[in-house]
Amino acid sequence: MDLNIKRKSTKTVIKGSLVETYPHDLQMYKLPPTEEISLQEFETLALERLMLLRSLATATTLKGFRAFSDEWKEYVQNELRNQGLKYYAKLCEYTKHGTDADLQARKKDHIAHFILRLAYCRNEELRRWFVARELELFKMRFMTMNSEAVDAFFRLNNLSYTNISDEEKSGIISFLRESTAHQNIENMKFYKVKFYEVLDLVKFRKVFLSGGYAYIPHKDFVSVLSAQFRKHLRHSLAVACHHLGEIEQDERLVCLLKGLHQSYTGADYADTKAVVPIESLDSLSVKSYPLCMRQLHEQLRLSHHLKHGGRLQYGLFLKGIGVTLEDSLRFWREEFTKIMDLDNFEKQYSYYIRYNYGKEGSKRNYSPLSCLKIVNETVGPGDCHGCPYRHCDVSNLKNKLQGYGMDPQAISDIVDTAKKGHFQVACSKYFDSVNNVDLGLGINHPNQYFEESQKLLKGEIKVIKKEKGNIKKETIEDLEFDEDF
Amino acid sequence: MVGQYDENLLPDMLPIYYTKYFPQNIFCRWLSCGSSPQPLSNRELSFTLADDVYLRYLSICDQKELQTLFQKKCPHKLDIGAVYNTKPSIARHDSVVLARELVFDIDLTDYDEVRTCCKEAKVCEKCWKFMVIACEIIDKALKDDFGFQSILWVFSGRRGIHCWVSDYEARVLDSPGRGAVADYLCLIMGGENQSKKVNLGNDNLHTSIRRALDVIDKYFEEILQDQEFFATADGLKALLKLIPDETLRSQVEKKLEKLPECSLERWRQFTSLYDSYCRENGFAIRKMKYLVEEIKIQYCYPRLDVNVTKGFNHLLKSPFSIHPKTGKVSIVFKPNNARKMKLSDVPTIYSLLDDSSAYSVEHQNNMKTSVKNFQEVVFSLEKAEAMRRKNDANISLEF
Repeated sequence: MDLNIKRKSTKTVIKGSLVETYPHDLQMYKLPPTEEISLQEFETLALERLMLLRSLATATTLKGFRAFSDEWKEYVQNELRNQGLKYYAKLCEYTKHGTDADLQARKKDHIAHFILRLAYCRNEELRRWFVARELELFKMRFMTMNSEAVDAFFRLNNLSYTNISDEEKSGIISFLRESTAHQNIENMKFYKVKFYEVLDLVKFRKVFLSGGYAYIPHKDFVSVLSAQFRKHLRHSLAVACHHLGEIEQDERLVCLLKGLHQSYTGADYADTKAVVPIESLDSLSVKSYPLCMRQLHEQLRLSHHLKHGGRLQYGLFLKGIGVTLEDSLRFWREEFTKIMDLDNFEKQYSYYIRYNYGKEGSKRNYSPLSCLKIVNETVGPGDCHGCPYRHCDVSNLKNKLQGYGMDPQAISDIVDTAKKGHFQVACSKYFDSVNNVDLGLGINHPNQYFEESQKLLKGEIKVIKKEKGNIKKETIEDLEFDEDF
Repeated sequence: MVGQYDENLLPDMLPIYYTKYFPQNIFCRWLSCGSSPQPLSNRELSFTLADDVYLRYLSICDQKELQTLFQKKCPHKLDIGAVYNTKPSIARHDSVVLARELVFDIDLTDYDEVRTCCKEAKVCEKCWKFMVIACEIIDKALKDDFGFQSILWVFSGRRGIHCWVSDYEARVLDSPGRGAVADYLCLIMGGENQSKKVNLGNDNLHTSIRRALDVIDKYFEEILQDQEFFATADGLKALLKLIPDETLRSQVEKKLEKLPECSLERWRQFTSLYDSYCRENGFAIRKMKYLVEEIKIQYCYPRLDVNVTKGFNHLLKSPFSIHPKTGKVSIVFKPNNARKMKLSDVPTIYSLLDDSSAYSVEHQNNMKTSVKNFQEVVFSLEKAEAMRRKNDANISLEF
């Protein structure tokens, strides 16, 4: 990609009118833009696209809509219009007209995408977030296109696939019917692609696989394309990262690009200044722990052991609230040695505790897990970690809360919210009920929960409603919401 | 004899085992084929020495170096890691993982909530049947669905099995790809706080699930009788928890409690109650169309440790390594022989090295068979690799 955006380009400028450069609403962003734009325009375009991407994230995480569902799309569209981003709203709806306004919109889309690549290529976490959002955008736009537009898109991008013959299809028709997530497949043409081109379909068993090939109807090509798009974007980000040095010679850009990135990282709780003595953990677990940590703490006290996922989730949380490495070692040792000898503990477990604190292995200072990581954890037999609002049976959750002596009204409210899939909202309700307030905080990090609760107990926040929580909420959420293709 | 092991003897026995029994030549061929186009020396090996000292980022260039390393370090356990862009011992924090067999790890401890015969590290012929089912289901899926051919099945040495897929496509599959394969094969989800761990929805059942159910059906009644899942009050309670419909649940509870403590009888009664309940209540079918299948899966379907499969550079115990606690050899077996395999047939380092052992002759033979099984997989992998290189060469010539 060309990184000399602000300077005179040395590459050949794409010639011809905008119609030739931007023949289609949707693009794969293969070639970088080469013309000159003003610094102000640069900034505006970057911020506008950021707003677009953030509204996608909000729709899924805070609003809890299923990605690409009708409510989800509607929410995004409304957000875009409210924020004065009509041109994006239009691009997302797909208009094939190609009026001058459309062409300008396509151009903005193109340039803005490349600017954000520069801002988001810096580290793995930023990249993941960016790729996930751009992918959602791409999919949403692809899915709204009609078949004519799809054909045009394939032609323009030199994508040619041949469908399987009727004999081949009739030979496997019953399997296709079982395994394809569409109705009326009799009338559909099927195509054969390698299974790794449609991983999202494989993951959810929505495609018939045979001999390493996936049999997909035309409709499912969005999977093939988004996989390609994702791969291409990941690669481009890695390349862009290598060239950051060059672009950062221009100080005006440095400020802007870094600023973009800083204003959206949020706290990661990897370094804390507070020191919490382990003797206070029992009482803290009742007052200031979110339920996910409280249940891990209780499980540990009860069975004197936690499986790997639980040790990681709880161990990092403890680090985040200010338990020192020495205390942490002592804490786990005291519990674990109730069921094993000291030698065993030192050999098998103390390594991982030091590892969490960045003292072993790759020596990275690991951040405590955020809600989105925890919600998306794989929880297997014997595990107690994860998010209780997601990974507990309703009856189990209810019993647990009743066991804590919580108000029945609050319990049914929390359980209902969890049932609907709004895990973090349920957590916030738990917070309010435990602390006997009505703050309605946006919870998206167990350590944030802990800090808010401590502030409340120390009287640092009285009843400042929402503002602060909200800002923090979105920033962290945005980043942590990983791509799950 | 199996019960005779003594960990203190290992330092004396292991050097002999590595020289005399460990199939070094085939092992190196397997690894170098599985590392290509990178050289064998870019592959990470890891040793566990006496007293749990770990040595990571080791590597070898050839069989000679392997033998030297074995004699010098005398590892109690041998693990295999990924293929890096360089020798793993140099610049290890900058090195990049380029390839790795697609691996699966199935461990009987993950069956503790269903098996009734043993717990934790224990294993017997009865619960070994879970491994037989797991092996058959996963092997079929890898071959039929994903088209893989070089599949190696290995006994983990104590209470589980490992599977190594060495096909080129599998080796270079990226992390999301591994995740997707693992999720495709993983039907049991949820932890201690969730009773019902299988939800199949109410659409058509996917071809791979139907096939898995066919396998389970072959063994289900046998395992039901072995394990007596529903004979005790607790076992029955666990079954009841899986029934989402309250009316049906109380019907089942009333009926089954009266029956004698026989799982098979109780199960048959349950399925017939379920059938007639669904026939009478059309709405019920929507809520629990595949309840019977879901329960069978929850009790018998393979419980994969998905983190092992998803991780690109997860270390996994090597075939023919000795399990330091049991002394058993991690033998290679054929998936269609899994059923006939008995745990007491697995050679141990003690039985192999002690001529006076009652098992000696039999175990010697089993060891030979196992090496032969390994050879077969490696030979076919070498053939496939040669074909692939030839094809690649042809393609590049065309340009």
